[in-house]
Amino acid sequence: MNQAGSVALIAALAFAAYGVIAGALGGALRSLRVTRSAERATLAFFVMITVAVAVLEVLILSDNFNNAYVASHSNRDLPFYYKIAVLWAGQEGSLLFWTFLLSIYGGLAVLLNHRKNRQLMPYVVAIVMATGAFFTSVVFFVANPFGELTLTTAAGTQSLTLPDGNGLTPALQYNSMVIHPPMLYLGYVGFVVPFAFAMAALITRQLGDNWIRVTRRWTMVPWMFLGTGILMGAHWAYEVLGWGGYWGWDPVENASLLPWLAGTAFLHSVMIQEKRGMLKVWNIVLVITTFFLCIFGTFLTRSGIVSSVHAFAQSAIGPFFAVFLAIIVFFSLTLLFLRLDYLKSENKLDSVVSRESGFLFNNWVLLAAVFAVLWGTIFPIISKLVEGTTVSVGPPFFNKTTIPMGLLLLFLTGAGPLLAWRKTSFKSLRQNFTIPLAIAVVAGGVLFALGVRDVYAWMALFLCAFVAVTIFQEFYKGARTRQRVYNENFVAALYNLTMRNTRRYGGYVIHFGIVLLFIGFSGLAFRTETKATMAEGDLLRINDYMLRCQTLTEGEDPNYIYQRAVLTVTKAGRALGVLDPERRLYKASQEPISHVAIHSSLVEDLYVVVAGADSDSGKAVVEAFVNPLVGWVWIGGAVVFWGTLLAMVPSRVEREMAEIRRQREEVVAEDHV
Amino acid sequence: MFSGQMKTREPARSALECGSGAAALARVLQDDRTAGVGAPALQGACGAASACVVLMAVIIFATTVAFAASKPTLKSIGEALICQCGCGQTVYGCNHFECASRAEMNALIEKEIAAGKDETTILQDFVKKYGVQVLASPPAKGFTLLAWVLPGLGLVVGLAVVITFVRRWRKPPAKPDQAPPAPIDPKLLEAVEEEMKKIAG
Repeated sequence: MNQAGSVALIAALAFAAYGVIAGALGGALRSLRVTRSAERATLAFFVMITVAVAVLEVLILSDNFNNAYVASHSNRDLPFYYKIAVLWAGQEGSLLFWTFLLSIYGGLAVLLNHRKNRQLMPYVVAIVMATGAFFTSVVFFVANPFGELTLTTAAGTQSLTLPDGNGLTPALQYNSMVIHPPMLYLGYVGFVVPFAFAMAALITRQLGDNWIRVTRRWTMVPWMFLGTGILMGAHWAYEVLGWGGYWGWDPVENASLLPWLAGTAFLHSVMIQEKRGMLKVWNIVLVITTFFLCIFGTFLTRSGIVSSVHAFAQSAIGPFFAVFLAIIVFFSLTLLFLRLDYLKSENKLDSVVSRESGFLFNNWVLLAAVFAVLWGTIFPIISKLVEGTTVSVGPPFFNKTTIPMGLLLLFLTGAGPLLAWRKTSFKSLRQNFTIPLAIAVVAGGVLFALGVRDVYAWMALFLCAFVAVTIFQEFYKGARTRQRVYNENFVAALYNLTMRNTRRYGGYVIHFGIVLLFIGFSGLAFRTETKATMAEGDLLRINDYMLRCQTLTEGEDPNYIYQRAVLTVTKAGRALGVLDPERRLYKASQEPISHVAIHSSLVEDLYVVVAGADSDSGKAVVEAFVNPLVGWVWIGGAVVFWGTLLAMVPSRVEREMAEIRRQREEVVAEDHV
Repeated sequence: MFSGQMKTREPARSALECGSGAAALARVLQDDRTAGVGAPALQGACGAASACVVLMAVIIFATTVAFAASKPTLKSIGEALICQCGCGQTVYGCNHFECASRAEMNALIEKEIAAGKDETTILQDFVKKYGVQVLASPPAKGFTLLAWVLPGLGLVVGLAVVITFVRRWRKPPAKPDQAPPAPIDPKLLEAVEEEMKKIAG
């Protein structure tokens, strides 16, 4: 079986290499035949990588402990769905999974552009396949998941099969961990397609709006997955790690945030190019930056050069990634430099007070945030290299540098869409800003009266009120106009308004999701916590909550043994139910881990952990946290997700334009006949 | 993200730098005024809105200056120190279950607070015991001052770049002695408006 996996990898590598050469030749010779051959190689690459993934899954599911990867990351009693997730639990498997997702994106790009973008496609294939060839090489030569265990004795080297494996890291044995990494990787990997289209546009000098239009959805899909993946990771950290928080500014977390921020800047900036023919060079720079940060993040967290809680073992992949990154930078910037003459701006800026400058400010803050997070993440390495001393750059640094930027972005989220393209009159500014600002000021006053004194939280909530009102105002005004013009009822007008311009109103929904996220973040300022050693019958009070320890039980699952505290919860005398946090000890790895119990509401979460057990007295150490507003983080994430999907639905305007184009083409064809 | 430390104790250098960014923008606006760009109302709007963005930046960044040191707590000190178990997180946020290092460090923090020491002294004691890497943020002196300065500098340089581009891209002002544009054919105008209505919905 192991050999079958390796053979599939070699075949995939051969197809990828062929795809690069045939794609480049097909483009240079303008040969459809050669290009089609390169496209078929992309599909064959997908098939071969799928075979390799299938082989590894079979090895995992059949408990083949002769395979080193399976023996390190799985065990017999691991439930089926966690065994599936073993594929991305370790360095080798997750790199193979990365390559698998890349092959899916590559295959889809080929299939969906079978008749479109024919000049760009040969180079798109070449670039996607070059990335595929790189990852397949790393998987095959450096981090091969198909290695066998061997035992070397005086008699020679023998194949070794262990009776059972080391098991999956306990922290990964949660439902959200089954879905979180695929989401995150779908985000990371997907940015290869917009990058490939940008490079193809540079190579072919097709630098009009076409590549921007083509790549909009190809950018939104990975952006959506990356954002969802990041929040799912945060949710997992919250539910599993037992410290009551969800974001620790760990290098791996930072690495995933960087391309998301750069991708957000790109998604906004492309609108200026589409509407006004400006920022052409900048958009190319942003797409290069986003893709670079995707690969750089992978390099940073997998090479072992920064210490991280996401413990991928140190390996030799670092130099390979460093070379690949250098190639990306050299290739893309050289190409950009050679094509600068084709990237001249078509328009001038009419006014400082315009949507264009709103986007410029948005890009300014987003890129400054990218720089601050990147700088903080790599500073320990720089300090070590320059001074030889190790310093830590942790949450206090990132909070101080990025929270102000986040608040500024939140302000721009509300203010930007109120500005008109080209220039905004003072009258229009007054009309658009008066109500949101007035309501925000009232909300700010109410918050102050309610005792909100944390300045960041107050400011975040004040801005949330401002932005939310600007969004509602936009929907309301649009729907009212439709009501008057088309005589529709308000709900129908709202629906038709949204569906007529899904991109704009989907964008507003995303902005509203961001508002909800910030409401959730602001809750961290009001967190309270307490800790007690409890025996059966003991009480623990936190805020209005009273926890009574009903029983302390112990039990066993095939995979772990547990100690469970059963606690009845009342709030201001009203019964809320039972919470049963556990302390688990996984048999295979002998690692203890907490199993948190949470009572959630829209106002706050009661979060309870069994933090330890006193073996002498038999008492449990119980930690309780009240985390206000945290539920809005997950709701906000869901709203961003659905808003992104809405923004990707072809709008009626788009469909009508496509229909007009189709009819014109038919008329032209008939004229030729 | 707001994880953990919402109340800050050190003044942010970026506040000052942001102030200089605001001055730069104000200069641009001033230049525009003296150059007589656009109508007076539009000039006012330009100034108001751009200054609004910069003002927001100044307000937000200045808030970090406004908060002076408060009494040390287990949480505030725990958030300023890195746990030595290898998790890379703060003592307060260490997610290593049943972490011996966290327990030891928490006990030491409680002892120091009970002894009536202030935050700076407690942190210095930890640096003496564990080395400088125990601090969750690099000290703002010597080489590690760069860690703090560059993000603020990045913000200011970014703003300068935006302003430079805005200035370069500004349309030259319409000359009053220029001949008025030829009148547009009303039929064409009507057709365009019809089309625009269709698109705008």
